[in-house]
Amino acid sequence: MAGNRLLRILAEFSARGGTESSARLCEVSADVLAMTGAGIMLMSGDTQRGSVCSSNDVSALIEDLQYTLGEGPCVDAYRQDRPVLEPDLANPATARWLAFTPPAVAAGAEAIFGFPVQVGTIRLGALNLYRDQPGALSDDQHADALVMADVAARAVLAAQAKAPPAELAAELEAGGNFRFVVHQASGMVAAQLGIGVGEGLVRLRAYAFANDRMLSDVAEDVVARRLRLE
Amino acid sequence: MPREPMLARTFVELADTLVDDFDVVELLSLLVDRCVEILDVSAAGLMLVAPEGDLRVVASSSEAMRVVELFELQSQEGPCLDCYRSGQPVLNQHLGTVDGRWPNFTPVALEAGFRSVHALPMRLRGAIIGALNLFRTHEGPLDATDVLAAQALADVATIAILQHRAALEAQVVNEQLNHALNSRVLIEQAKGVLAERAGLDIEHAFARLRSYARNNNRQLVDVAQDVIDGTLSAGAIDSGSHRHA
Repeated sequence: MAGNRLLRILAEFSARGGTESSARLCEVSADVLAMTGAGIMLMSGDTQRGSVCSSNDVSALIEDLQYTLGEGPCVDAYRQDRPVLEPDLANPATARWLAFTPPAVAAGAEAIFGFPVQVGTIRLGALNLYRDQPGALSDDQHADALVMADVAARAVLAAQAKAPPAELAAELEAGGNFRFVVHQASGMVAAQLGIGVGEGLVRLRAYAFANDRMLSDVAEDVVARRLRLE
Repeated sequence: MPREPMLARTFVELADTLVDDFDVVELLSLLVDRCVEILDVSAAGLMLVAPEGDLRVVASSSEAMRVVELFELQSQEGPCLDCYRSGQPVLNQHLGTVDGRWPNFTPVALEAGFRSVHALPMRLRGAIIGALNLFRTHEGPLDATDVLAAQALADVATIAILQHRAALEAQVVNEQLNHALNSRVLIEQAKGVLAERAGLDIEHAFARLRSYARNNNRQLVDVAQDVIDGTLSAGAIDSGSHRHA
């Protein structure tokens, strides 16, 4: 029963101090679903907004890769509005995510799954799950993941509902990673090259991609003036 | 078709409609139409309490002016209002014998050809959100199973409406979230632009943007937009940020 799943998941949250902290969502997701790690990305239109949480460094990297490359299970789950399942990332039945896959596998993600995070038709982003062993989700895990994604969506909205108008909820900002440094760097690059801020971001992405680096790392270097794009 | 299978079919139909992006008005219209088909009544309507506290008609099985008018009248008096206020069903009101109770409503209903009227509350836990109104062209009590069926249909309508409201609320918060993130991105970009133009680090650039906005009584996000567009130069921000400091 879906109701029992929901109760079990909510019980797991209250055992850890409630859904109050959005940062805890990923930890609980990984535990409840018996995954190695979990992450929740926020998206809007074609933009990856950032991360609500990630349960470990590999999950953070999986989010960073998708943020940098604009491809991966979360991006697909969000865009296609359905679960995206890759039980064997190293030897996939159909090759996809050509840039994302090698570094994700190298970091230890052998199976990877993305579930849309939404309330009704309001889409917020995607829940990312990975495991260090290949293998499909059981029916139970799949069903739990759907409920978990729903809980996550409601928790994010509940957190934001408490924020003053036009401000990001402090709880989301504290627990998440919205990669504000990337936008600061876009501004700097724009001023340096006399281009728009949107194009500044494109230049940063292109540099990160060409040099096989994470967008946030490149942005850190630009802001610290260790790197100047020509 | 006998009533039981028809009722069951209606619930399946409503459950099918009650998906994520359902149109609540369409669903409520379907519901009042089915009331007329399933129950022994000639007209049905749903009235909901508006944020201002008065009852408004949201669905009617008939578009005829005389029927619509009957619903509109009930924002002042009538079985729906009584039902809404008491939270209890108002059943088997024979219009020929209720004279004093609804002096404005009764003559209009009689003239429209109705002889009896019923109203069932739309309630969920403690909250009453409106009433389902049923009209018949003949007198005589509404059959007990009809009452049960009508209340079940009213309950489905209640769930549909509450679900719709929750979805709207979620949409508003999501828009606020997107707006907050967009504003924040603009501010971060402006920090970068100003840091580069004025030769500052990000923190000092932010401090300068903030004091400029404060001294000039402007929203930070608007100042950020001007910096990004180039309509506010680094020099202008600098002098404007020191004015009262």
